Amino acid sequence: MYPAVLRVAEMSLCVLDEEKFHLCCQLLLQLSEQLGDGWTWEGGQEGYLRKTALRSVVIDSSSVWDYEGGGADTSCPSRSEQQEGEQEQAAVDASADTDSIKGDMEDEEEDDGVCVASAGSSQLLQYEYHILHSCSYSTPVLYFRACTQEGRSLSLEEEHPLLGQPFFMLHPCRTEEFMRPVLQAAQDQHRPVNYVLSWLSVVGPVVGLDVPLKYSTLLPPPAAQSQADSAPLCLSASLWSPP
Amino acid sequence: MADDKDVLRDVWFGRIPTCFLLNQDEVTEREAEPYYLLLPRVSYLTLVTDKVKKHFHKVIRTDDAEEMWFEYEGTPLKWHYPIGVLFDLHASNTVLPWSITVHFKNFPERDLLHCPSHSVIEAHFMSSIKEADALKHKSQVVNDMQKKDHKQLWMGLQNDKFDQFWAMNRKLMEYPTEDGGFRFIPFRIYQTLSDRPFIQKQFRPVSPEGHVHTLGDLLKEVYPTPLQWLSEHLSHPDSFLHICVIPVPSD
Repeated sequence: MYPAVLRVAEMSLCVLDEEKFHLCCQLLLQLSEQLGDGWTWEGGQEGYLRKTALRSVVIDSSSVWDYEGGGADTSCPSRSEQQEGEQEQAAVDASADTDSIKGDMEDEEEDDGVCVASAGSSQLLQYEYHILHSCSYSTPVLYFRACTQEGRSLSLEEEHPLLGQPFFMLHPCRTEEFMRPVLQAAQDQHRPVNYVLSWLSVVGPVVGLDVPLKYSTLLPPPAAQSQADSAPLCLSASLWSPP
Repeated sequence: MADDKDVLRDVWFGRIPTCFLLNQDEVTEREAEPYYLLLPRVSYLTLVTDKVKKHFHKVIRTDDAEEMWFEYEGTPLKWHYPIGVLFDLHASNTVLPWSITVHFKNFPERDLLHCPSHSVIEAHFMSSIKEADALKHKSQVVNDMQKKDHKQLWMGLQNDKFDQFWAMNRKLMEYPTEDGGFRFIPFRIYQTLSDRPFIQKQFRPVSPEGHVHTLGDLLKEVYPTPLQWLSEHLSHPDSFLHICVIPVPSD
């Protein structure tokens, strides 16, 4: 009943070409529909997955949006820089900073539009998530943005390749690295794996996008998930820049 | 080989004479004079216009001045595109100097990325270099470089130092002889009449059979419009398809 197994040769284990990407997205959409999780496909043949969510967040204007001192550290470090441990630092900072932006976010599984009224400093934001395919890195890429109710968007980093509008983006250059253990384990255990879904369950939570557990009840549990969770992530947005 | 080196220099040192005019809706304390500048084609607007900002900050009310942004004939100019690309895309048919309008209010949030500092430009530039190397060398060359090597690429661009830049950049232009070229060619095709910012795809410089691909092959792949359709729909009233090949403006 689980849709077609993605048979991958050893060499192309972590390479997600456009055709495979489309297949993974179709499967994800089917599951999303069953679960009422709200993903849609936009744009036709060369399109992307899209989802929106309303969040009530506490914005700490001093630390979150000020990236004057961000510098080139916000771009992906090379291997030699990684050895210096900067990568780990960024991952640590990312999880620390996430708290200041998440604030009192609602659990996604229960509701998708209810906001929590907090005193004074909280705001209702509309988050928008897009999943595209990168032909340069042969991986999925997550773009996201948040707008206030008045439509004023928060600080921006990258141009969306299809819409030409500013979005935040999780840089794809390390995706292959952290997906490798996940995909390898699946192959070793002869389990089917949906690249896009597995990838999303790793990167989604970093930007406040929950992937309901119910997706996985339709799939065998990934044994290598804990390995993937601790793998370093490379984040482009200055939002996550080290102090 | 000497000719090839000349081409590299011509590309690097290309300039566009530009006239910066303050948006007439801006409130000024004195009349704003236009500011003239020779813009490097290979650089980025926000990297080379500090003097423009200084010049106009003398006449506007700086307390409510926001981030400076540029516009040409109603179109906000994306600072993260190379200046030469912006010119060729929007203004190649106009008489020089290129007239750009300067704004300090009503930043177009949906059209432009913010650029609060030069570090943001550097991050962007390096991100492009890395993406290009992912296509050319599976990121092997750029990842094997030291942080100081990356810095040298950026400083070379920022300070207009051709030799300093190319000392590092030549590594990014090498390929194993037996491969005959890069793995994929980093390219972007921009179209004004499209929502989509640009077209970018995986395209090999040499076919599996060993044929060396040309620009024509690339265009054929990206624009597979049959000649018959072109003839039927884009012919002039005289029934001819008139095709122009124009030289790059020598600035």
